[in-house]
Amino acid sequence: MITKNIFCSLQVIILLCLSACSKSPDINNTTMLDGDQIFDPSLYNPAKYLVSVAIANPVTAQKNTPVVIAVHGYSATTFEWDEFRTYADSKANVLVSQVLLGGHGRTYEEFKKSTWEDWEEPIMTEYNALHAKGYTNINFVGSSTACPLVMDLIKKGEIGANGMKHIFMVDPIVIPSDKLLTLIGLVGPMLGYLETPMTPAEEGHYYHFRPQETLKQLMILIDKSRKDLQEGFNLPAGIRMKVYKSIKDPTADAVSAVLIYKGLKNSDNSRIDVEMIDSELHVVTRLNGRDNITQHDRDIQAHVFDDMYKMLMQ
Amino acid sequence: MKKKFVLSILFITCVLCLHAQTSGTKESWIGELKGGIRIQKAQKLYWENGFAFDFTSPRLADRSIHLGVSYVTTRLGSAMGTNAIKQDNFLFSPGYFFRHHKQLQPFTRLNMGYFHADYEYAIFDVLPNKAFLFSLDAGLSYEFKMPITISLSAGYNLNTGTGTAGPGTLYPVFYQMSIFYTILKKR
Repeated sequence: MITKNIFCSLQVIILLCLSACSKSPDINNTTMLDGDQIFDPSLYNPAKYLVSVAIANPVTAQKNTPVVIAVHGYSATTFEWDEFRTYADSKANVLVSQVLLGGHGRTYEEFKKSTWEDWEEPIMTEYNALHAKGYTNINFVGSSTACPLVMDLIKKGEIGANGMKHIFMVDPIVIPSDKLLTLIGLVGPMLGYLETPMTPAEEGHYYHFRPQETLKQLMILIDKSRKDLQEGFNLPAGIRMKVYKSIKDPTADAVSAVLIYKGLKNSDNSRIDVEMIDSELHVVTRLNGRDNITQHDRDIQAHVFDDMYKMLMQ
Repeated sequence: MKKKFVLSILFITCVLCLHAQTSGTKESWIGELKGGIRIQKAQKLYWENGFAFDFTSPRLADRSIHLGVSYVTTRLGSAMGTNAIKQDNFLFSPGYFFRHHKQLQPFTRLNMGYFHADYEYAIFDVLPNKAFLFSLDAGLSYEFKMPITISLSAGYNLNTGTGTAGPGTLYPVFYQMSIFYTILKKR
């Protein structure tokens, strides 16, 4: 009798798991990035977003102009750095190359099958293209997940040796705020995906549904980054780095900044620059699409943009 | 959250007092005291190692209830010679041990205590680095014929960092192994 009961319970659990695994999200194709109608605009018009495509044959003055490769975070798109592009355009002496991470900006299914190595690839592609065209003042600005990706490239020695000047990190993630992400390997297959609340203005620029497969990839990436920082590594010579970190970040725990500060040093073993910011936003530089933006948020965004610009001009 | 802690402590104290009162007056409080090392791993985070002591008595529900104190830290684990954050856990752990006259004893514990993380640099003074610890764990303890006991358990921290409150390196799931030497045992 007991054996029969256990057998029945197991059947129920297996059926529940299988039904959960096959669950697919209810995607609205007309409003959501997840669907098959809205794609990141850089896929249609790369020349508007990538400096390497926009300027086929740069002249000497252009080659010496600071180029900032702006990289967005997990589940986002080039939209995340639109405001910085607008800011840089107003200055007229900085070029911005907005890179779309691999697997992003397309359908839910394409996002679902991408790995963190796929996400990283376009960063290297743009960096190599700019380098090949002779740009001498290449810089990075990354938000959230872009930061562990860039740190991985630094650790592997794939960027930074030539022509790299500055790396800026905005709300880098090494430790997630939602600690249940650490259990994604266990609960992920039962959940299938996670739904993220967002404003109507964000719907077409961020994935509304996050496949558990990509959350696992995110966990693998940040766990690798944490271990790399634990061992410690250095920036290549001649690169200056600054981290801007919101202290009450609901996505990337602020303690991520502590790990980066302790684990990643300048080439001469001196400390990198870190600025802790009194904000409750994740990615303090992106305000478009958010509800309830305050003057304080606008001041922080302006401060970070001005600070980065000042460093770029030095 | 503080209210929960206080209520839990009051509840445990009441249970222990009731057991003590019903155990008769002839039995001594002296029972069994064990001391040893504890190895702890947080899921997807640090190794935290340290020391643990476990006490039980015939007056504690005939040795079913154990009282433990422990200290585990990354200073003796992941932070040794690395850039991992130095953090300390001080715990008081009342637990209930089933089959307490057998060698293999399943058990469950309620752990309460204090967590502190040392971020080392003044720039990070704005971040929370202290917390009450409040966790549950369950596992198996095996008492060898020689005065050695090994216990394995898995636990869940109910009070973790959330990004907007609490220390960021306080993670939910942890695994423990303790190796005890029996310092005192009175039958």
